[in-house]
Amino acid sequence: MKFILMMGMKAGKESMSKGIMSWPKQDIQAHIGFMMAFNKQLKEAGELVSAEGLAWPDQAKLVRAGEDGIPITDGVFPESKEFLIGYWIIDVESPERAYQVAARASSAPGPGGAPLNMPIEVRQVMSGPPEELQ
Amino acid sequence: MKYMLLMTGTKADFDWYARWPKQDLQAHFAFMHAFSMELKDSGAFVAAEGLAFPDQAKLVRAGSDGTPITDGVFPEAKEFLAGYWIVDVESPEEAYKIAARASAAPHPPRHGPGGPAENQPIEVRQVMSGPPEELL
Repeated sequence: MKFILMMGMKAGKESMSKGIMSWPKQDIQAHIGFMMAFNKQLKEAGELVSAEGLAWPDQAKLVRAGEDGIPITDGVFPESKEFLIGYWIIDVESPERAYQVAARASSAPGPGGAPLNMPIEVRQVMSGPPEELQ
Repeated sequence: MKYMLLMTGTKADFDWYARWPKQDLQAHFAFMHAFSMELKDSGAFVAAEGLAFPDQAKLVRAGSDGTPITDGVFPEAKEFLAGYWIVDVESPEEAYKIAARASAAPHPPRHGPGGPAENQPIEVRQVMSGPPEELL
């Protein structure tokens, strides 16, 4: 079963001011070091399908097709919006195993090296639309 | 440059999807399938996935001993990721054009028959190749 593990953040001024870029450099390095080791372990266990990190929320655009199909882009989001910052897709035997992996990601070190225990959203990745709808 | 195109919705949006007539769902999936094929043919396609409905979502945190604490309660306003594409293109404008195509996927009118056919907004953000070198 494939699961996606999503790390999110709010982009309001207050959340950004406490964000990773405000941490001391060695704490940022420890966090990134943890993530790299974590990815390597998942790869070695044969559980990692993919992992990506996204550009900061201030780079995000919302795109809609106008009447003629031409893109209309907008860069304004509500303060409360949660942005995806990065994700892992893992292939594991059970949801419980996915939750264990998510808990490991959740415990990544933050300021002063203390575990962040950040929330990680976990959802199954579907292989395709239901057959009767194809 | 790699870009992620994210399709999101609130619980209310997903409740609406679940009420679509079968032929509208089929038209939507047929569009999405053809769209993915075109992206593959053009060489822009990197990946695409659809996720389980939000009622399957869990929020997981590590407890003090590292064991997972799971929670399934989310605020009403939360936007859930429904699915995404990753495309590899020359410019952000190219990514926005592809997003506009996805935005125009067929769907039934949101406010009942005869109502406005609002196009789905698609969030677009660059995918980073890795952390900045000075932080490794």
